[in-house]
Amino acid sequence: MKRILIEYEKCDGCKNCSAACMQAHRENPGTIYDLDLGDPKNESRNRILKDAKGQYKPLFCRHCDDPECVKSCMSGALYKDPESGHVLYDQTRCGSCFMCVMNCPFGVLKPDTVTKSKVIKCDFCADAGGDPSCVKSCPKKAIYVEEV
Amino acid sequence: MNQRYSCNTCKSADKLLEGYIAELPMETSHHRVEGQSTKCAFGLQGVCCRLCANGPCRVTPESPRGICGANADTIVVRNLLRAVASGSGCYIHVVENTARNVKNVAKTKGPIKGVSTLNRLAGLFGIEEEDIHKQAEAVADAVLQDLYLPEYEKMRLTEKLSYAPRYEKWKELGILPGGAKSEVFHGVVKCSTNLNSDPVNMLLDCLKLGISTGIYGLVLTNLLNDVVLGEPEIRLAPVGLRVIDPDYINIMITGHQHSMFTFLQDRLTDEDVKEKAKKAGAKGFKLVGCTCVGQDLQLRGAHYTEIFDGHAGNNYTSEAILATGGIDAVISEFNCTLPGIEPICDQLKIKQICIDNVAKKANAELKEFDFANRPAVTDQIIDQIVAAYQARRGSVPLNLFPEHGNADTLTGISEISLKKFFGGNWQPLIDQIVAGNIKGIAGVVGCSNLTAGGHDVLTVDLVRELIAKDILVLTAGCSSGGIENCGLMTPKAAQYAGPKLRAVCEKLGIPPVLNFGPCLAIGRLEIVATELAQALNVDLPQLPLVLSAAQWLEEQALADGCYGLALGLPLHLGLPPFVTGSKVAVQVLTEDMKGLTGGQVIINGDAKESAAILEQIILEKRQGLNI
Repeated sequence: MKRILIEYEKCDGCKNCSAACMQAHRENPGTIYDLDLGDPKNESRNRILKDAKGQYKPLFCRHCDDPECVKSCMSGALYKDPESGHVLYDQTRCGSCFMCVMNCPFGVLKPDTVTKSKVIKCDFCADAGGDPSCVKSCPKKAIYVEEV
Repeated sequence: MNQRYSCNTCKSADKLLEGYIAELPMETSHHRVEGQSTKCAFGLQGVCCRLCANGPCRVTPESPRGICGANADTIVVRNLLRAVASGSGCYIHVVENTARNVKNVAKTKGPIKGVSTLNRLAGLFGIEEEDIHKQAEAVADAVLQDLYLPEYEKMRLTEKLSYAPRYEKWKELGILPGGAKSEVFHGVVKCSTNLNSDPVNMLLDCLKLGISTGIYGLVLTNLLNDVVLGEPEIRLAPVGLRVIDPDYINIMITGHQHSMFTFLQDRLTDEDVKEKAKKAGAKGFKLVGCTCVGQDLQLRGAHYTEIFDGHAGNNYTSEAILATGGIDAVISEFNCTLPGIEPICDQLKIKQICIDNVAKKANAELKEFDFANRPAVTDQIIDQIVAAYQARRGSVPLNLFPEHGNADTLTGISEISLKKFFGGNWQPLIDQIVAGNIKGIAGVVGCSNLTAGGHDVLTVDLVRELIAKDILVLTAGCSSGGIENCGLMTPKAAQYAGPKLRAVCEKLGIPPVLNFGPCLAIGRLEIVATELAQALNVDLPQLPLVLSAAQWLEEQALADGCYGLALGLPLHLGLPPFVTGSKVAVQVLTEDMKGLTGGQVIINGDAKESAAILEQIILEKRQGLNI
């Protein structure tokens, strides 16, 4: 099972991972040059926070072994894929109750900003062959994929 | 055997050079591309602002404005104006030094090698003076006085050096420049912290800086240098690493200010100086051309056959030129002198001397060009170079590459020499354009970079596509260095042109790509465009003529580009100038500019697609002229 691991000490807070995530999940195809960086429709599935000591804390979906989001999802929209181990999201089944957002112990899940009807959730760049764009874009290699 | 430094070098259009660099035992720019391949998305789009202590601020869905409230349009255009002002400052520095040199040469009754250019300028400026030295001094003074005017006083020569319909258009748009140095000042003030936030207002300033850069920094620098250093004459010359002859003490020159070498290049062929070389065991001295000042020397090479063998390569060839081991010293006076040459110079014991402190390199000894003391300073420089030659030759291994480049690149092309070639007027060229044998003209100009496909890759691919479509290509800048080393400026390159252009080239014995030399010569190319428009009695935007700075690199290129836009010409760029984060900037530059000046920016990194777009524009312009 592949996971994105984080060495937060290496993070510079450049947000390239967020821009790469936005580019990977944008509606219309295009290049990084014409990605609308200010459009909430393109919001990122990852975030970088800063703690009280000034240390950056990159926030990525952990695809947990025992995912609270899946346990709290009443409609079955969130589920753990037995093969890949990734926590996946079927938007068509989502009832927008956001219990997953309430229960995520890391605070990574959030309702989408524009419609507040779906969850913004990492899909491990399934459309790009399961090679996460954020990892490829990190200049410091603070995030990396490892088989766990 | 030497060990390769690493196997990760970028591509080059020049396959021989690519192979040579890949085998080198030292690091070059070509090796560093891979390590810098992760680019910051905010930087690429120009939406990172660090103009104040609240920053850096970046535009994201959660934070569409900086802390001060600046939106993406303000942030992007402020950054662009900073770059354009800075680029303009560079060229204005060059023309200032060039004019001062003309003045000094005139005052000391030094040689005036380009009397007809001097007369041409004096005529344009309305200077009535018989004595050529007094005439030259008056010409230089007129230029300097304009450069030093305040921003609120319009420069006086602008109208005399502009095509009337363009001048009227600029007047109508309110973009006639004040003193060129003051305009740079005005530009950097305008885009500082919490000053201007109006993107369109700042874009107009970019155009204004483009005009002062183009007319003074480009056009006049060429002509003033022609006065003192001689006018270009068309001839064939060798190019590439083959020009390095290890039997001589070789000095690589980098920068943009040919005027600063006026004294040195003559002194190096004086008998007493040649004797110094012979005593050290060499046959004499040679200047090896690199970057635009090398192109300038090549352009005027007819006057300097003894000291100058040829142009070795452009900015991103400089490390390879040094790696041959055949260079004993580098004399630099401006960009594009890469910081990356420093460790190579250290390793190969190459003496670095800098003659203008704006471009002082960390390893170089600063021997500032000083007109009054030029004999003494020049001799000191020569002695140091002889000492370097003696210290390094024999102990530093040679890695020469005599197969690189070619022996017969056509050079020496200027607005005057080309017109002379056509019989003293542009009619033969116009006839070929009207008949459709030459579909149109593309100026493929500006720098070389390593990221638009690799070293010269987009430039050379685009040129191949354009000539195959019967479009005549004119070049100026580091683009020329790459294109010539790839063989496209030899008469036999006519075979790569489309059938109609090929027939024209073969009849005239010329290549389908004509080399005007340094980036400064973009000014010459635009004189050609203006004279063609004059001959047809149309304005510049109506000509079947396009510009491409396919592999633009520097802030100077952005200032040049603004001149192209002010002239109303379509301008293709391979990579966007960090503006795509602003919808307003993109809209104005790529669309609304057509209604303002007639120009437009086209951004495309694919050679085939770009050539098709440029061809389409040329066809539309032909239709507009009913040809």
